[in-house]
Amino acid sequence: MVRDQHQPGSHNVFPAVINTRSSRKSVSDRAFALLLFLPALVTLIVTTSAPLVYLAWTSAMRIDLSMPWRSGFAGVDNYVKMGADPRFWNSLWLTLVYTASTVVLQVTLGLSLALLVLRIPRGQAALRIAAILPLVLAPVVVGLFWRTLVLSPDVGLVDVVTRALGLGSHNWLGDPQLALISVIAIHTWQWTPFAFLVILASLSSLPPDVFEAARIDRANAWQRFRHITLPLIRPALVIVVIMRTMIALSAFAAIFAATGGGPGTATEILNLYAYRTSFSELNLGYGASLAVVLLAITLAVSLVMFRVRRAR
Amino acid sequence: MNSPDAPPPNPLAARGEREPSASETGEKPRARTAGRVSLRGIVKRHGSFTALHGVDLDIEPGEFFALLGPSGSGKTTTLRIIAGLEPHDAGRVLLDGDDVTAREPGERDVAMVFQSYALYPHMSVFDNIAFPLRMVGAPRDDIARAVRDAAAKVRIDHLLERRPGQLSGGQQQRCALARAIVRKPRLFLLDEPLSNLDAKLRLETRVELRKLQRALGVTAVYVTHDQEEAMTIADRLAIFMEGRIVQVGRPQEIFARPASALVAAFIGSPPMNLLPAEVRGGALHVAGITLPIERPLGGDGAVTLGVRPAALRIGTSGLPACVELVEHMGDTTIVDLDVAGTPMKLRTDQAPAVREGDEVRVSFAAAAMHLFERDGGARRDP
Amino acid sequence: MPRRVRTLILVALAALLLAVWAFPVLWALLTSFKTERDVLAYPPTLIFEPTLRNYRDVLFGSASLLPNLASSIIVAGVSTLATLLLAIPAAYALARLEFPGRRVSGFYILATQMLPPVGLIIPYYLVLQKAGALDTYWGLIVIYLTFSLPFAIWLMVSYFEDVPREMEEAALLDRAGRVRALWYVILPQVRGGIAVTTIFVFLNAWNEFLFAVVLGGNRVRPVTVAMFNFISVEQTLWAKLAAGAMLAMAPVILLGLLAQRHIVKGLTVGAVKGARR
Repeated sequence: MVRDQHQPGSHNVFPAVINTRSSRKSVSDRAFALLLFLPALVTLIVTTSAPLVYLAWTSAMRIDLSMPWRSGFAGVDNYVKMGADPRFWNSLWLTLVYTASTVVLQVTLGLSLALLVLRIPRGQAALRIAAILPLVLAPVVVGLFWRTLVLSPDVGLVDVVTRALGLGSHNWLGDPQLALISVIAIHTWQWTPFAFLVILASLSSLPPDVFEAARIDRANAWQRFRHITLPLIRPALVIVVIMRTMIALSAFAAIFAATGGGPGTATEILNLYAYRTSFSELNLGYGASLAVVLLAITLAVSLVMFRVRRAR
Repeated sequence: MNSPDAPPPNPLAARGEREPSASETGEKPRARTAGRVSLRGIVKRHGSFTALHGVDLDIEPGEFFALLGPSGSGKTTTLRIIAGLEPHDAGRVLLDGDDVTAREPGERDVAMVFQSYALYPHMSVFDNIAFPLRMVGAPRDDIARAVRDAAAKVRIDHLLERRPGQLSGGQQQRCALARAIVRKPRLFLLDEPLSNLDAKLRLETRVELRKLQRALGVTAVYVTHDQEEAMTIADRLAIFMEGRIVQVGRPQEIFARPASALVAAFIGSPPMNLLPAEVRGGALHVAGITLPIERPLGGDGAVTLGVRPAALRIGTSGLPACVELVEHMGDTTIVDLDVAGTPMKLRTDQAPAVREGDEVRVSFAAAAMHLFERDGGARRDP
Repeated sequence: MPRRVRTLILVALAALLLAVWAFPVLWALLTSFKTERDVLAYPPTLIFEPTLRNYRDVLFGSASLLPNLASSIIVAGVSTLATLLLAIPAAYALARLEFPGRRVSGFYILATQMLPPVGLIIPYYLVLQKAGALDTYWGLIVIYLTFSLPFAIWLMVSYFEDVPREMEEAALLDRAGRVRALWYVILPQVRGGIAVTTIFVFLNAWNEFLFAVVLGGNRVRPVTVAMFNFISVEQTLWAKLAAGAMLAMAPVILLGLLAQRHIVKGLTVGAVKGARR
């Protein structure tokens, strides 16, 4: 790293130095940095990116473990087939509905609850503990809980309540329409506490003097909320939306445990469709192509979200 | 007594103190040959922005040398380059004649006191001070002795078992100092060490720092943006502006002969008054009047006239001025004036008999006048 | 609206919240002590004769959960350890050191966090099947790293960034050198962050299902998969399921309750800090 040391105008009596501190120090520091960083990076590349390449390759194959004589290279056949596959479009639609509704519900509920809880400083400790419980449970266990203890016809909690209220008994998970709602409810139940906790923390950290100034400027509660609170907690809201969207796109265990994707395909989001195709129907090539599409969608959505986040 | 161009009084002299001699402190003064710092052509860039444009500096062993300048002028960057914490793009750093440009910070035998003190919060005060000695593998007994010595010198030896979080701001600062002096380095670097202290503590600690440095005899390089601080404790100082050193010298010299209008406007409380003026035909034309000056003024041209607030007098002749505000500071009074559109300040020990709104005339002695080129601000010495 | 009434409404709402979130677990706990017959009683009984039979069956019976608990411990424990060993140095390098490709690597790590697991499960299944490595501990541990590692790095980076640079510089000037500065000065500062990261990584690994069900088998079957033992076409063994679920979730619930302050801090720190970047 040779630099021209002869600056015009400086009375530089000393000759050009190749060995400036920048160059010598960098080499040993960089080696140290890479030594610390590379093991993790290499592990990640080997465990995530290499398999993805294989996934893309598989999606261009026809792998039918139930009818192995039909396996072979398929090119873009799988994708063409997908375009005409109504079950695929159904799963896409369900994914959209599921993701959008769970995220909106979580944020709205989380925000409302956080605003309410702010006014009860003494209740906050107990509520934080209660909020932790759904978050630490395994989604698959949550799905099973709800399927058996909560949503079962006759014995489940919800049914007991609706029967007591005179609304009758329903097959919450067996009825195609109700199933989607139930599954959305399960996801929302489990993950709203996350939005709640994050937004509560953000709200608690807001400086009170801004609100006092607004009060003196005669802003009412709604105006204070809209013009001061919301903008100030925007970063937390954005993070919650981004994270919950990513989770909703790849949600699997809870739905699998509660409905398995059914009844029929009533709750079969793209995630589950890919799984069922690959491991129930053993059609791995097509399943891989579905997974690739899901990957592409996730990537696109995250890019859009980060762009939006940075733009503002 | 208080001549207009006199520098601010040395607080040590004012208190009737003198530098403690070696026999008094029981400390052998270090041979004043170690701790010479030289910077040659230091350039630092941040992308397209140049933070330092070729800085050259020589600091004598045992000096208390201040790097003074407004925020962003490059003084802290320079200090960190001397410490080896900041890579630079060109130039060399020499300590005692050795080129240390390529050496790691730990290998330069340099100690630093950070603005935030950078104490290790999870260690006791004792462990904090002992840390540098532990790192070089000194024997346990030596470490214990050296730590107690250093702590005693800054008077925190009763706090050794506490954690930094349990100390007051002033005590933390002294802990940071102790950690620096325990290694007996050849050079101290101090990055605005007093800026986190309240005003009164700052003034007291200033004096203590200076006395400590004298007792140890170690070269100290001290960064500050407070010109009064630099002027009172430094042996010599370098004034930084926009990545360049614009003047180097002893406080008295800089006060008496600022090298440029910018320096003049920076030094002094309140700083020097500056007015646009013109030299024509051997006379000074300023604020609409002509002042016949019995002093060679140099060639004709546009100039900036500089006069210190303490050099102005309210009288019957001189520049026309309107009194805007009279600030009574107790034993001094500052009068804010408007001289043909330019604000000026006058400082006096006697309460002037003027009120706001009065039209007065201000004058000054020829010897108290500073002239700078209008273009570029360089000092004009005919 | 008078203050008293408003507070009352708020408290009622808060109590409702508590109930909604805590109830299912409490209800499952209750159910686990009932006999199968009591479970099916309507109206549901709160007062009954509790029995430990379910737990006995679930732990020591023919379909004992003990091997599954062992699987979970091994897979979650080892993957957490491996994650920490890899992630902590990497996060420090990312947060504090300069090296070529630093920014790109940062984005890459963020991107891998967004991968839908189903995208990974297919190639892993094919490769492991060919290698005969299905139903092994290593297979699971390796794939668990794909979600643990980026997450752990991301969390630890924010903790490392919180350590003031000057502290590290002071240590360097004190002749500690980079390695000792890291060990003696910086790591002690991020102790809390390491604890939070460990908790989260372990929690996620313990709760993992998809990878476990596809790549595991009869030998390696974590508790999350074993839950389905209690459900078959003929009948659901309610009480046993409740007991099994309580056992399976006991570690994470305990962890959650004990470390709840850490967890809340970790959630909010990670999220709110992420917003700043």
